[in-house]
Amino acid sequence: MEELLRGAEAAAVIPFDYGAPCLYFPVRHHSPACAWHLRRAIQRYQPDCILVEGPENANPLLPVLADPASRPPLALYYSYRDSAGLLSEEKESYKCYYPFLACSPEYAALREAAERGVPCRFIDLPYGEILLATSGEKGLRSREEKHAYQDDYLLSRSRFVALLCQKAGLRSFEEFWEKYFEIRALSMSTEEYVAQMHAYCLPARQETPQEQLEEEGCLAREAYMAQNIAKAREEFQRVLVVTGGFHTWGLLHPQPWQRSHSLPEGSQGVYPMRYSMEAADALNGYASGMPSPGFYHKIWSILESETPELPYDKANLDFLVAAGRSLRREGFSLSAFDEICAMDMARGLAELRGKSQPGLYELQDAVLSCFVKGEEAVAASEPLRVLRKLLTGNQVGELCSQALVPPLVKDFDGQCKKFRLKLQGAMSQQVTLNIFSSPRHRAASCFLYQTVFLDCGFAQRQKGPDLLRGKDRNLIRETWKYKWSGHVAAALIDHSVSGATMEEACRTELNQRMARVSLAGEGAGLLVQGFLMGLEDETQALTEKLEALLAVDGDFFSLAEACRHLNTLWELQDLYRQQEEDRLPRLLDVCFTKLAQLLPAMAGVKDDRLDSCIQVCALLYRLSAGGPFARRRGQLLDALQRLTEDPDGNPALHGAALGLLYGADPQWKEEVFRTCAGYLRGTRERMLCSAQFLRGLFSTSRDLVLIDEGFTAMIDGLFARLTQEDFTALLPELRLAFSYFAPAETDRIARRAAALHGKDAASVRERPAVTAAQYAYGEALDAWAAAQL
Amino acid sequence: MKETAQIRPQAEVRYQEELAALAEADKGNKKPLGWKLSPRAVRDFILGREAPLEWNGREVRIQKKYLGNDTLVERCIITLAGNRGLMLVGEPGTAKTMLSELLSAAVSGVSTNTVQGTAGTTEDMIKYSWNYALLLANGPSRQALVPSPLFTGMEKGILTRFEEITRTPAEIQDSLISVMSDKVLNVPELGDEGLLFARPGFNVIGTANTRDKGVNEMSSALKRRFNFETVQPVRDVKLEKQIILNEVRGLAQSAGIAMEPDEGAAALLAATFHELREGVSSMGHRIDSPGSVMSTAEAVSVYYQTMMSAYYYGDGAMDMGCMVQNLTGAVLKESRDDLEKLKSYFSTVVRDKAEREGGLWKSYYEARKQLQ
Repeated sequence: MEELLRGAEAAAVIPFDYGAPCLYFPVRHHSPACAWHLRRAIQRYQPDCILVEGPENANPLLPVLADPASRPPLALYYSYRDSAGLLSEEKESYKCYYPFLACSPEYAALREAAERGVPCRFIDLPYGEILLATSGEKGLRSREEKHAYQDDYLLSRSRFVALLCQKAGLRSFEEFWEKYFEIRALSMSTEEYVAQMHAYCLPARQETPQEQLEEEGCLAREAYMAQNIAKAREEFQRVLVVTGGFHTWGLLHPQPWQRSHSLPEGSQGVYPMRYSMEAADALNGYASGMPSPGFYHKIWSILESETPELPYDKANLDFLVAAGRSLRREGFSLSAFDEICAMDMARGLAELRGKSQPGLYELQDAVLSCFVKGEEAVAASEPLRVLRKLLTGNQVGELCSQALVPPLVKDFDGQCKKFRLKLQGAMSQQVTLNIFSSPRHRAASCFLYQTVFLDCGFAQRQKGPDLLRGKDRNLIRETWKYKWSGHVAAALIDHSVSGATMEEACRTELNQRMARVSLAGEGAGLLVQGFLMGLEDETQALTEKLEALLAVDGDFFSLAEACRHLNTLWELQDLYRQQEEDRLPRLLDVCFTKLAQLLPAMAGVKDDRLDSCIQVCALLYRLSAGGPFARRRGQLLDALQRLTEDPDGNPALHGAALGLLYGADPQWKEEVFRTCAGYLRGTRERMLCSAQFLRGLFSTSRDLVLIDEGFTAMIDGLFARLTQEDFTALLPELRLAFSYFAPAETDRIARRAAALHGKDAASVRERPAVTAAQYAYGEALDAWAAAQL
Repeated sequence: MKETAQIRPQAEVRYQEELAALAEADKGNKKPLGWKLSPRAVRDFILGREAPLEWNGREVRIQKKYLGNDTLVERCIITLAGNRGLMLVGEPGTAKTMLSELLSAAVSGVSTNTVQGTAGTTEDMIKYSWNYALLLANGPSRQALVPSPLFTGMEKGILTRFEEITRTPAEIQDSLISVMSDKVLNVPELGDEGLLFARPGFNVIGTANTRDKGVNEMSSALKRRFNFETVQPVRDVKLEKQIILNEVRGLAQSAGIAMEPDEGAAALLAATFHELREGVSSMGHRIDSPGSVMSTAEAVSVYYQTMMSAYYYGDGAMDMGCMVQNLTGAVLKESRDDLEKLKSYFSTVVRDKAEREGGLWKSYYEARKQLQ
């Protein structure tokens, strides 16, 4: 195995000669050993130009990345908008990241070039053209959430690799890589290392079918890079080429290739952005770069330090101590002796496995063996969780001030600063806003709603009034959770076309979305969103569009939703210190009239939409209680009456309508009693509907039962006539119906019902109330169940 | 001890040749004090070696004896070379005992220095007791002392195995604590000579069962003296089949049964055990897992019983009816409900597999009437 790795043949196939006018240096992304050897090669070779694998449309941004004030992890964010439909008829947008960690060889090359003042360029096809050269759904065009430009998977996924790991007795490609290409690399000469790299990459390439290389655009890219290298060689004497090891052979033997399309102007974008270790690790799921970036970052910083000896041994010790400290802080009992044993274990394993220093896998094994006490289970695996977090790292990068940041991102950063939202660190933060008492907090809330509207994945409202759903309206504070990540920057860059500030972007997109909306309910929802984002003036302009929508909308539920949203806005005018205006009542009036017209047709509504139907009735009733809509009361009562006249109508809706009519005019009491008795005495099918009827009735007129003793007596009499079986069948729905009463009210009704049978409360209640201990147990059980889910 | 007179010769006897060949090849390698082999040779002994070794002019193959997690074995070896004991925990039938036996045989050349933990284990079984006749005749002396396996391990510098440690009451387990941290055992009766210092090479391998009823908790003080390794049940059906075949072959050999195990039947049994344990079939059926432990060791015994019936009563072919009967015996240990679960496994998964794959699965399905 090792003979093959050091084999002379590879070196003969791809020579590595410091005297040559062009030196090809193969790398693996994010590999500290590669970066270390690359730096040594640069010092020795003294190139006058460095070429790096990367889409060339980012070339103007390279000085930003290489600036000493910029701190990795950073990424280049490439986007391509297929508005010309060159890729597919759907004309979709594409994007990918090109992350740089401190230990990425590409980053080391950029920095070295900048320090030496030699030109440095990316030589790959521009991102859009890579997409063009790729067949549908392959490579960078596959349907994955997140793309990284780098393409290590060609190195790690072939059959050759599986065989290699099996032979070497290692559990995975990553462990194989670490043993031979990281730990061992540090005691090798650069020539040996490069030869070993080729000895590995050549068979991996041989194993990959030509069609796959073709489909994934690999060949086109290599041809293009080869052309760029040839151009650079005409210009410079000593050219260093830094590419993925997989490509070196392709660069030396390029296939003929011609550019087939030219991309439309402005379809491509590229921006530098701050990146996080967490995101860099998550990317590993898509096989680009190495796992556990925190660990390899540590290795790199030790290599960079004054005492670069035994970096892996030192890193193991550091991580064990850090994990121990972090565990103790969490209340896990762990002694220094545990840490000593773990270090012994890591070193012992390294020796057993023929590694000169313990690596990542020995570290993980040591923690598993010495820190986890008892059986390995979810509960006992806390140490492993802590270690994983440490291995990922929590650094977030920083861009130098000259960075060409899109204005939207700049505005976002500025606003975060203004509202004192923390963008550093990988932990989520929480903020509580007094939106009603502090204008500053209201402004912060608007900003957070704007980020939600632009779908940045930055903030999430945890608590607070939910105007869109009409929930928790009684709350006066909002609690938000937020966390900065690479996605936020990416999303903002995507929205950059819409405007230069958050407000402008939201305005533009609000209008765009409104233009696409076809139902009044959605339109009114956008109005509420606009209000939450503090864009009231914009909502004024949107009203016109909404008015048009309302005029043509004939969908009862969409209108109902619109009515609810508009009512919310209207009600909140005072609370949010908005100025009185007449457009809302105007719109509401349109809704009211249309809903009243449509209401009688809703008699046969299905159960799934019943609740919203009843809510609409109640809302209209409330609206017409006074103010500008009092004149509409008659129209509503007419509609409700017609609703009750439908013999096949939904019983619950029937009940609700009767309840409202009774509220408006007590004369309806007789009708309510009659209908109620009619249901309970009716045929069996109808009788079974009586609970539903009551449910509807109670939802709109609880006072009928509470005030009128006659009603209780009537209901009681009717229940008494039911057979045991029928009563049991009714019971679940009845329970639901009575849930509209507060517990004290239910008690009152029950007491009255008991009195009808000559009993008092105490004699009826068979079971004592729940004890505090039982309640606590129930709560604990609930919490446990929730945790299990 | 003569090998022929034993039902199951211990590891160091069974693999005498392999151990000797490894020791020969291991000469000159660095060994922890008191070890017979170097850590690498111990690993080769347990996990096998590709290239055969030359020994006494013959080629000796080192076969893979423990099928499962290789890195776990590596961790176990390093733990034993260190300052702490090794505790193997896991469900019953996951080859914990086998692993502990192999480790002792390779490291110390002896796997019989064992405390077998039960609810009745007392402190003097762990430390030492007396030959009372001698004690009364001559007073306390080393001759009158009856050493425990722990005592022997410390005295000779070899591994002491403590099987089923969680079956002994917690307070008895705790008598290990000071011995394990100080590496010294005090025998006050012997006066000044009563201090037994452990010689290099001494360590303790415990095994503990986490799923059976009637096991005791371990105190956290004792836990701190051990590194824990959790032995997981085999999750790979192919591997499980291989284990069944290997084990059954070994058992048949030592019982003098001249019959080669049938691969198809082993595959079928491995699939059954695997699916019942995991609760989902290879075709995606959701299955109610029985409450009893569906370990690989159980699968081996079901297979071996069926094979013996075939050898002694039958025509030498594995009879599915008989296998189903034995399977029932293995599953039906905890409660009657498990039988219903097994029945529904047959009426869904086995039925569908019989339809799709036919052959052995078909006769397996037809044998379902034996389920009772």
